[in-house]
Amino acid sequence: MNNIVEFKGVTKHLKDFSIKDINLQIKQGYVTGFIGANGAGKSTTMKLMMNLLKADEGDINVFGMDYASNEKEIKERMGFVYDSNVFYESLNLKDIRRIVAPAYKNWDDKQFYDYIKKFELPLNKGIKTFSKGMQMKASLAIALSHEAEFIMMDEPTAGLDPVFRRELLDILQEIMKDGRRTLFFSTHITSDLERIADYITFIQKGKILFTDSMEDVQDRYALVKGNMDVINRDIEKMFIKIERSSYGFTALTNDVAGIKAVLGNRVSMEPATLEDIMFYAKGAERQYV
Amino acid sequence: MANLIRRDLIIQKYQLYLFIPFILFFIFAGSHMSAFFIFVFAGFFIPINAYSYDEKVETNILLNSLPYTRTQIIASRYIGAIFYMAVSIVITTALFYVFNRPFTWADIAIGAGITLTLFSFSFPLFYLLKPGNIGTAVTIGFILFVVLSGPTVMFFEEYLTPVVDFLMNVSSFAIYLSGAGIITALYAISWIISQIIYQRKTF
Repeated sequence: MNNIVEFKGVTKHLKDFSIKDINLQIKQGYVTGFIGANGAGKSTTMKLMMNLLKADEGDINVFGMDYASNEKEIKERMGFVYDSNVFYESLNLKDIRRIVAPAYKNWDDKQFYDYIKKFELPLNKGIKTFSKGMQMKASLAIALSHEAEFIMMDEPTAGLDPVFRRELLDILQEIMKDGRRTLFFSTHITSDLERIADYITFIQKGKILFTDSMEDVQDRYALVKGNMDVINRDIEKMFIKIERSSYGFTALTNDVAGIKAVLGNRVSMEPATLEDIMFYAKGAERQYV
Repeated sequence: MANLIRRDLIIQKYQLYLFIPFILFFIFAGSHMSAFFIFVFAGFFIPINAYSYDEKVETNILLNSLPYTRTQIIASRYIGAIFYMAVSIVITTALFYVFNRPFTWADIAIGAGITLTLFSFSFPLFYLLKPGNIGTAVTIGFILFVVLSGPTVMFFEEYLTPVVDFLMNVSSFAIYLSGAGIITALYAISWIISQIIYQRKTF
């Protein structure tokens, strides 16, 4: 399986934040969800991927090429959707097309107008009159009109109403159908990912905690509930974080098999959602994985 | 590259309608002004206005996400500025001609020279400044320029008579030639500085 994006030991120090020694692989042909709390480093990672920021250390390869010598070629094949509007606000889509289209060798006007029609976007209204959802669709239409093989979306669902979010997820599912595209998609609304992601990358405090297939995540992680008397030091090590209450404890583990073997029926287990994982990992005292 | 330069026209298509009335205003209301001054205003108009759009972080994110290199983005700015200045001067010349306002080739040369000098100083400064401060910087810079240009010229005339005498004695061809040389060097240095600043910029 090929990696479309590879980070090797990437470190970037910003004024009041840094990401350290990041290793990241994005698999070709799949949807990878990128989750993490606000301020965990999602946008910084995505900016590094787009070469808007340059790494202090480490290598970033996209399509097996590096930015230093292949910047244009990489960006020809990449589509982007940012969390805020990057297009000139006062212009309408027709004018934006006039600016963006000539930048790409593979621009397909027919495709563009087809998507505009499909997404029900007005061509003659200024972008500033667009709702958040329309702006997102406009970015997506542009990304899809130049045959982008890799589409990077930074928080595309943030600020969208539930109906539109579902519509967007359907659109994304559809564009993934032919298997030619790869999607990397950051969000803190984890239920979106449970629907469409094949892989999950989890970032916390500037470090990637894991990249796993959705199935692996669901197999390995679980919420464990039981009485306090089953917990001892060794057992504690099998949990990422334990929440104690007067009734007992709830804890997150990434070692379902181990817990089953040791505690068996003395505890109850239920599948952990991505949100559970995010929540418990945030409070974890130790770094795990 | 040509696309990036053409972009300047698309983003300010409405402001462009103001361009000709703006020049006409100067031709009629500024009859006391030297013609070269109007050429400076005309040459400055489009590139600086385009620039005010580009100061936004979002615009830089867009341009840098499209298949352009940072080197190309800066080059388009510097080449575009010369191109639009030239076009603006041609249009202004035509308007001068139509409305019978006298001017000389020297006015055009001096106007273009001053405009290019202003670009040379303002572009790197803009790339250095934080977005949002550029408008203020331009306004202050322009006021300073207008206020100080008079006294400076007077200062030179008064105290530096030998220098002025010398300049008077040298053929005007030599003056223009060396002026052109200095401005070209200034523009090139400015380009290199902007390039260095922009390469290091984070968005």
